[in-house]
Amino acid sequence: MKPPPFDYSAPTTLDEALALLLEHGEDARPLAGGQSLVPLLSFRLARPSHLVDLAGISELGSIVVDDGHLVIGAMVRERAAERHDDVRLLAPLLAQALPLIGHPAIRSRGTIGGSLAHADPAAELPAVALLLDAELVAQSRDRGKRTIKAADFFSGFFTTALQPDEILTEVRIRRPALRTGSAIEEVARRHGDFAMVGAAAMVRLEDGKIADARVALTGVSDIPVRATEAEAILEGAEPTDEAFATAAEEAAKSLSPPADLHGSSSYRRHLATVLMRRTFKLAAQRAKEAA
Amino acid sequence: MQNIAERYTGASVKRSEDPRILTGTGCYVDDVRLPGMLHAAFVRSPSAHARITGVDVTEARKLPGVIAVLTGEELDALTVRGPGAAGMFSAGLPMPSFSVLATDKVRLVGDPVVLVVAESRYLAEDACELVVVDYEELPAVITQEQALDPAGPPIFEDLGSNVLVRSPVATFGDVEGAFARADRVVRAELRQHRHQNVPMECRGVVCSFDLGSGELTVYSATQGVHIARTGFATQLDMPLEKVRVLAGDIGGSFGLKLGAAREDIACAAASRRLGRPIRWIEDRSENLTASGQARDESFEVEAAISNEGHILGLRVKMIIDTGAYPGLGGMLPEAVKGMIPGPYKIGALSFESTAVITNKASYVAYRGPWASETWVRERMIDLIAKELAMEPLEVRLRNVVTRGEPPLQMLTGRSLVGVTSRESLDRIAALVDVEAFRRRQAEARAQGRYLGLGLATYIEAAPGPRTPGGGGGIMGPEQMRLRLEEDGTVTVFTSQMPHGQSHQTTLAQIAADEFGVPFDQVRVVVGDTDVVPMGFGTGGSRSATMAGGVSLHGARALRAKVFEVAAHLFEASPEDMDLAAGAVSVRGVPARAVPLGEIARAAHEPGRVPRDLEGDLEVTAEYDGGEGGWAGGTHAAIVEVDVETGQVRIERYLVAEDCGVLINPAIVEGQVRGGVAQGIGAVLLERSAYDPDSGQYLSSTFMDYLIPTACEIPRIEIEHLETVPLDADVNFRGVGEGGMIIAPPTLCNAIEDALSPMGVRVTEQHLPPCRILELIGAIALDP
Amino acid sequence: MSTFDVELTVNGTPRQGSVEPRRTLADFLREDLGLTGTHLGCEHGVCGACTVLVNGEPARSCLMLAVQARGADILTVEGLANNGVMNPLQQAMWESHGFQCGFCTPGFLMQITALLVENPNPGEEEIREALSGNLCRCTGYESIVNGVLRAAGHDGSPPEPRH
Repeated sequence: MKPPPFDYSAPTTLDEALALLLEHGEDARPLAGGQSLVPLLSFRLARPSHLVDLAGISELGSIVVDDGHLVIGAMVRERAAERHDDVRLLAPLLAQALPLIGHPAIRSRGTIGGSLAHADPAAELPAVALLLDAELVAQSRDRGKRTIKAADFFSGFFTTALQPDEILTEVRIRRPALRTGSAIEEVARRHGDFAMVGAAAMVRLEDGKIADARVALTGVSDIPVRATEAEAILEGAEPTDEAFATAAEEAAKSLSPPADLHGSSSYRRHLATVLMRRTFKLAAQRAKEAA
Repeated sequence: MQNIAERYTGASVKRSEDPRILTGTGCYVDDVRLPGMLHAAFVRSPSAHARITGVDVTEARKLPGVIAVLTGEELDALTVRGPGAAGMFSAGLPMPSFSVLATDKVRLVGDPVVLVVAESRYLAEDACELVVVDYEELPAVITQEQALDPAGPPIFEDLGSNVLVRSPVATFGDVEGAFARADRVVRAELRQHRHQNVPMECRGVVCSFDLGSGELTVYSATQGVHIARTGFATQLDMPLEKVRVLAGDIGGSFGLKLGAAREDIACAAASRRLGRPIRWIEDRSENLTASGQARDESFEVEAAISNEGHILGLRVKMIIDTGAYPGLGGMLPEAVKGMIPGPYKIGALSFESTAVITNKASYVAYRGPWASETWVRERMIDLIAKELAMEPLEVRLRNVVTRGEPPLQMLTGRSLVGVTSRESLDRIAALVDVEAFRRRQAEARAQGRYLGLGLATYIEAAPGPRTPGGGGGIMGPEQMRLRLEEDGTVTVFTSQMPHGQSHQTTLAQIAADEFGVPFDQVRVVVGDTDVVPMGFGTGGSRSATMAGGVSLHGARALRAKVFEVAAHLFEASPEDMDLAAGAVSVRGVPARAVPLGEIARAAHEPGRVPRDLEGDLEVTAEYDGGEGGWAGGTHAAIVEVDVETGQVRIERYLVAEDCGVLINPAIVEGQVRGGVAQGIGAVLLERSAYDPDSGQYLSSTFMDYLIPTACEIPRIEIEHLETVPLDADVNFRGVGEGGMIIAPPTLCNAIEDALSPMGVRVTEQHLPPCRILELIGAIALDP
Repeated sequence: MSTFDVELTVNGTPRQGSVEPRRTLADFLREDLGLTGTHLGCEHGVCGACTVLVNGEPARSCLMLAVQARGADILTVEGLANNGVMNPLQQAMWESHGFQCGFCTPGFLMQITALLVENPNPGEEEIREALSGNLCRCTGYESIVNGVLRAAGHDGSPPEPRH
């Protein structure tokens, strides 16, 4: 189980990396933390001719706060983000999600940008980005920078809006409004495994009623999805167990999750219902506490 | 003798294996480096069942760094066909003809077809991708039903069908009468799913053929070097003495690494052909797909019972799926038949079995290979309890044998003298407090929480009771050589091949006590056919009694011989010799003590002792198992099932076990806990899954084949019963397999108990969360 | 394919080699530097046997290319003992009968080393969670957890059973 041959470059600037991607064409792949790409290489399921290692590009490695936004460089390691005070303060849902990714030794290498660009439908960060309306900034040598909304970023099973000559450089997350609570829960076969289904929810309360409810699901489609029916049902509703249950049940009806060895389609739909209900409830409780 | 308080035996002596293991200086087969060593990889079948119509290795041979590419046909010409590693288990069974690598057909996904030898494993894998094999697909035989279908394609043409063995009905006692007398009959179809060993170290071998001497040296990860040597010599058509098998540290096995595997033989043949050392280290994907699997059995069971809960009779029909290349699976039904009554007074039994061949990985030994007898029996007892609305513990107590009260014989023949199942049931009942649990369970249910209690009992022939023809030891007597060295240490040569069992510690503890030297003056030598005595190796929970016993008797014999030599030096009688503080003296004259090393030197010096005592101060001992005896115990689990997600949390897991006298309690408990962890894995996580149509293997990575982590295994509370000494000296019994045998029924029983308000009846052993929700009706089965 | 020079520090000693880009850090350590204490149990990042510390952080050496480790400070299991004397964690594991076959051991020791640096006094749940990315097939984990507790200054005896 050894990787096939490939070439390798380790640029130290973004410009250099973008030029290398362009030069080597579609068979080149950026290498971020490698925690998903290297096993694919070892199984010989991915066969890039050239890897462009982004680790030496210092401009991709920082976390800054900019105009009420948390801006996380694509090469920030998940473990570093997990430990970062600004992440806890400005993106509590992200802070809740990060420890659910794999295991410490995976998170110490894995990067925020790598996970988003890999776009595993079972992964936590794509769903979190979707829920938070994160903005993903991509850059290419010829077309420069562009900002892609998370809702437009994930286009299919392990596929994104990124073009082969583009590199995801940063993700921008808006600070949550006041009286907002969030929660993420998932059901995995074992601790640290990719979840069969996960749900991330955010609830904002105003005058004791739900002003805004959002939920995003992993593992129920080829991309992370928002359960908009549930969100619509809850808007303006009282934050009661019954309301959350009804919203979750209604939203789950339209899901047709994929089946695999670990769980059937019916099971995943059922889990989505349970987890939406649980995370709405927890998020609402946290919103109350935040008030 | 030392007094008891000073004995090593019975103490949790720190392991002598650990300093090398904890510092990264152990030597596993993947750590062996030989000059000029090459690396092997195999082209494997992508299909479950297909005819090979062409093999083109032209491009692969051209790749720089590739030394040889050998097809199945070419290797067939270099080797002798035979059952290989499976042969030791298949005496008397039909055995099809097959080659070392596939030639005519492939019979499972992962069947090896071509061997590539290159300068590195990377290059060897590159070359594998350049080999073109043409296949003509055949229908895959995956399920038992497909295998039993006479119209199905035979996997081995020379067998004619996919039924390997059909054993006629065997009856014990008056079965018809039992069912005629029964108040009720409980029926169930029980299914034990396929799962597998998965040692953390995959299989591997380094083969080195010396063109000059014509000798083959093999470094192998194996449970027994002599069995492996026989395999190599047979299939390479070499005299036994030209083959040497060495083994160092081994990263677990659990039954998998027995004998010489097909891949091992291929590498040895290639080394002989090339005259260079070849290393093959199985990767995890190969290991999960093709190394072997176990436990694929189904049962139809009828139990004739009285309203008081007595089991009057059992009718059992067993089908076992032995996978592609026949081996252990064919003989297992005999073991299951013999053991199915367990420690219970079952009135009558009829048993019939069928072993079938399928396009799946070959059936291999896995920790307690016959364990389905316990699973079936202990599951049936709970179903009987449910039928009678009785406490499952009570049904067990009404049927279990009692020490000192006849009948103390299993219906199928073996003596049950010394069995302490009743004591272990009583102990578990006290530890759990069943009544208190039932109250707590009722309160929890009222709050929508589902707790369950399960318990189960087993016995294991470890080594088993003394038989009229010989000792208690299965697989023959155990030998050991022991030698006093000139530095005063005792070297023990054992055929045991520890792969986690800590024999370098435990055998030294026993020998040190019996001989009378400090623990660290006993050195245990394993893993070299040139120096260790003939023997099976390690397996079958036989080491504690067999190797422990021969270590005790061998040390005693060596001490006697040392005293005999010393007596000559002192011109005294051997009976008057005394050993203390590493020196021998005439009793009462400690001032004139002679160090042990000096006695060994004296034996080496011509003329100092009579000719018949000259030379190495060495003995060869043999032990037949003595009075033998049973290991066994009762386990209990308290679980909580989340009926919304199907997840099972194990709140408590308790063990009351009896393996006789403990050699090293920490090591015993490690064996128990490790076995329980594998049993928990089997029920909640592990399944070797195949697509029933294509035969594709679905569990070929560690993302699919899930072994438990530290978060899934609870603390395991263990109590030891050391109840019945049967032998004058040796009352250690095996403990390796028990946990894995008994944990699956314990956990299944607990889960069924938790779900009893939903009317759930558990008839399968694998209960992942999705399945639990299907069983309680929370979700529908996918179409 | 071109080869790359790799210079790095392993267990405090500068080491170097020349590798194809595809060579994993694990193979570089084991095959090129002869440090066979690091074990390969799955080569796809699940079992944790190959865990080493890279600049103090635990990492799967099967999921890292050797070229990615250029300039890094690597600690492997061989670097734990000091002049042949086992360090307190190794001693605690020995006392606790932590391991059996020893194959998973290097990965556990390195992951535990990282854990204890970050959290010198972890509770049992924290230990289990931190170790859940390391698979052991022999022990059922309890003895390993006890070893960590012992290394963290507890006496290593199991806590009272839950009732």
